[in-house]
Amino acid sequence: MSAIEHPPIFRLPGIPDHVTYTWLVMAILAVAAFVASRNVALVPRGMQNFFEVVLEQFQQMIDDVIGAEGRRYLPLIATLGLFILVGNLLGLVPGMYGPTTNLNTTAACALVVFFAYHYIGVRKQGPVTYIKHFMGPVPWWLKPMMFVIEVISHLARPLSLTLRLFGNMVGGHILLAIIFFLMGLDGLIGWALSGNPLGAVVGGIGGLVMIAFTVGFLYPLKILVSFLQAFIFVMLTMLYISGAIEEAEHHGGEPHPVHH
Amino acid sequence: MRRSLILAGLAVLAVPGVALAQAPAAAQQGSWVGPFAVLVAGFAMAFAAGLCALGQGKAVASAVDAMARQPGAAARIQTAMIIGLALIESLAIYVLVVAMILLFVQPIQ
Repeated sequence: MSAIEHPPIFRLPGIPDHVTYTWLVMAILAVAAFVASRNVALVPRGMQNFFEVVLEQFQQMIDDVIGAEGRRYLPLIATLGLFILVGNLLGLVPGMYGPTTNLNTTAACALVVFFAYHYIGVRKQGPVTYIKHFMGPVPWWLKPMMFVIEVISHLARPLSLTLRLFGNMVGGHILLAIIFFLMGLDGLIGWALSGNPLGAVVGGIGGLVMIAFTVGFLYPLKILVSFLQAFIFVMLTMLYISGAIEEAEHHGGEPHPVHH
Repeated sequence: MRRSLILAGLAVLAVPGVALAQAPAAAQQGSWVGPFAVLVAGFAMAFAAGLCALGQGKAVASAVDAMARQPGAAARIQTAMIIGLALIESLAIYVLVVAMILLFVQPIQ
């Protein structure tokens, strides 16, 4: 990847870039949370107002998907969502490095979700009941096969969470890097400045078109994708948690939909 | 027409191997895999993007149809549509990851 992407401007020696910029995201979120909760007022203003709106959105989504008992998982879900969102957006700042464009960061988030929803399910239902629910409402002779299939599908969940976030972010970054390469000093703009009259016409017009395309279309698209991927990660986390705690209620009812 | 297309395709696929076979001194032993990896990465991403677009188009068409019939349920339909789109898109993303492994990591030399 380093073949086409410029390394970030600020690097700590001996520490991988994604760890450095994960710390930066943590610092941003911690400072924002500190400013928001420094003097909490009944009538919120400024930063506190902003964060209350954001957290109310998360709470609304949790109420819709998990139900009222899901509110105790708000810290986990909202932290994951804000971390991924800020990480995605940080990758769009020139000279910065998005921590979510590294497989290690996304795998860490997905593993946290994986262990968290199993822990929540086991604590809610007890280990025996929870494992029984892997077998589904099928005749007894199908249960072993059902168990294996369910275990594989559960193991595929962190994999798909990891690769979806990572692939979306890195794909967009490679696209941006290639567009910048095409329009930069090695590409159209360089051709325009080379003194060749044909190059001045074609390269100049082409460079302007590329700049307009990048600023007007690609960057808004990347910002949209950043929000959308954070939303989808959080939404799937909530679906997994609701799948882990809901099964106790309709015991032996119709089969629940399997989300990957 | 069709046969000539197939022949042209075969020729394109054969060229990287031929080109490197002519200069064995410069290339490492068995490194004909590299050019094929580049070709396969591009074609795989093209197929995956096209078929993913077909699937997402069907999903969005049905969702917009449903939203036009039931404007009251538009928000819930939109949420379900976005989740479905993400699940469909993740399949194309897997292909993107495989293509990136072929291009950048190059596990098989």
